[in-house]
Amino acid sequence: MIRIENVTRTFRRAGGGTVHALVDVSVEISEGEFVCIVGPSGHGKTTLLQLVAGLLPPTSGKIVVDGVPVTGPGPDRGVVFQRDSVFPWMRVIDNVEYGLRCRGVPKERRRAISRSYLEAVGLDGLERSWPRELSGGMLKRVAVATVFATGAKVLLLDEPFGPLDYVTRHQLHDVLLNLWQATETERARTILFVTHDVDEALTLSDRILVVKQGRLVDDMRSTLPRPRTTDSLVVPEALRHKHVLLSHLGLEAPGPSGAVATGAGA
Amino acid sequence: MAGATSATGFHSEAANRWQLRAGLRRAVRPAELLGVLGLALVLGFWWLMTLVISRTALPLPQDVFARIADDFGGAPELALYGVGQNGLLSSMIYTGENVLVSVAIGATIGTVTGLASARFRLAREIIDPIVLTAGTIPILVAAPFFLIWFGVARISALLLVILYVSTILYIFAQRAADNLDPVYEDAARTLGATPRRVIRDLLVPGTVPEILGGIRIALGGAWGLEAIAELLGLPDGIGKIIQVLSQQTDAEGIMAAIVFLGAVAVLFDALTAVAFRWLTRWSATWA
Repeated sequence: MIRIENVTRTFRRAGGGTVHALVDVSVEISEGEFVCIVGPSGHGKTTLLQLVAGLLPPTSGKIVVDGVPVTGPGPDRGVVFQRDSVFPWMRVIDNVEYGLRCRGVPKERRRAISRSYLEAVGLDGLERSWPRELSGGMLKRVAVATVFATGAKVLLLDEPFGPLDYVTRHQLHDVLLNLWQATETERARTILFVTHDVDEALTLSDRILVVKQGRLVDDMRSTLPRPRTTDSLVVPEALRHKHVLLSHLGLEAPGPSGAVATGAGA
Repeated sequence: MAGATSATGFHSEAANRWQLRAGLRRAVRPAELLGVLGLALVLGFWWLMTLVISRTALPLPQDVFARIADDFGGAPELALYGVGQNGLLSSMIYTGENVLVSVAIGATIGTVTGLASARFRLAREIIDPIVLTAGTIPILVAAPFFLIWFGVARISALLLVILYVSTILYIFAQRAADNLDPVYEDAARTLGATPRRVIRDLLVPGTVPEILGGIRIALGGAWGLEAIAELLGLPDGIGKIIQVLSQQTDAEGIMAAIVFLGAVAVLFDALTAVAFRWLTRWSATWA
């Protein structure tokens, strides 16, 4: 479980003055939830993720994961970054193994684990390849396999599929959902997924948090049945959520069907 | 208008020609071909110049090559002056040893301090001004001082080249580390890498291509610098031979020494290029 308590984060601007990236954000995320964080760009989504990752300390407030306060990056949390973070100087398999190597897992064991995740993301046979030989979508698959292979129970994904094309993005949604739902571990994985894509959020998540101007302005739960198809996104519940999200993003005026109030809570 | 049959004929002909060209390309890479062409142009120009310049000032290319062969294992006229008893080769070994030792030491110092300066602000603030000042001193101006301070001995040449190489490598290593995308370190930290691992698994391999590029540049310069240091007063080496022969205005001998030195430098550059290509095979920059 992730507990975010009254978290505020400010940045000093280079030219002087401060930016309030996050203002008094409090939220609890239960184990096994797939949560999407949606909001306009530059409004604090990535900052929130980096705080949970431990890559940034909060200015005030605290974040607790499984009862342990976050003071830095930890083996319980894995991150897939927006930019390509696959190490170009390591072969694909060595990249996927890296987290396990840092944990001191013996070679044969980590090879076996990495192979199974490479297979799960559809990259079997490419373990000896260099990252420069892979496409953008394949690199994301490597990044996803790497973070799942570590066994981290909390996965933080920061607009991971943003720069990818439509088809590749949808393929990676399936890859991600399959891995998330795989029950080979005794405990379910919790996913925090930052995106600016409303349809992506509706396709993937159990719950959507809306962050706007550094504040948590909405918290919506989705009970759409899985697996979700194109049709799942045009049922009344999905459309209602979509209208709320679009109005939060300033793309629609809050209408009768998409009133912000009806979307709040669960 | 050409019919369908001639169109297919043209197609296969083009395919053949393409195959031939691909085969040639595999056998001789265009870059190598151009290198040979460039060398031929220089030799041709040299030979042309001998038509207008006297032989004593500019010997014929073939005479110079013959002289390299003559002086290779032993040169009595050099032994007279107390150098190169065993010919060009023994002097070249002396020069080569100095170059390789000082490049190895200088590259290590430069790389370590350069990487440290990129990681630690304090190190950067202390070292940057020193290196930037040292970098502005013309090495030819520094050379006589080194000979005064450390004597006309090997150590002076070594220190001079070390100074030059470490300055270059400091800048290359620092820039390489600055250019390394911080997302790699964030990723490594979230995967559980310790600071030591970040240095060993990220900083070092991630900066290797740029650092190796710097070493190649420094190595090229080191040959010339070593020869100059020898020329200014070392007891042995190719530079010393050039100095002795220039007192005799023996243009042929001087050119033999210079051409030999150049050939060895080019050979070493080619060897390092091959080694570096393998070390940075993950990077597409050279492909």
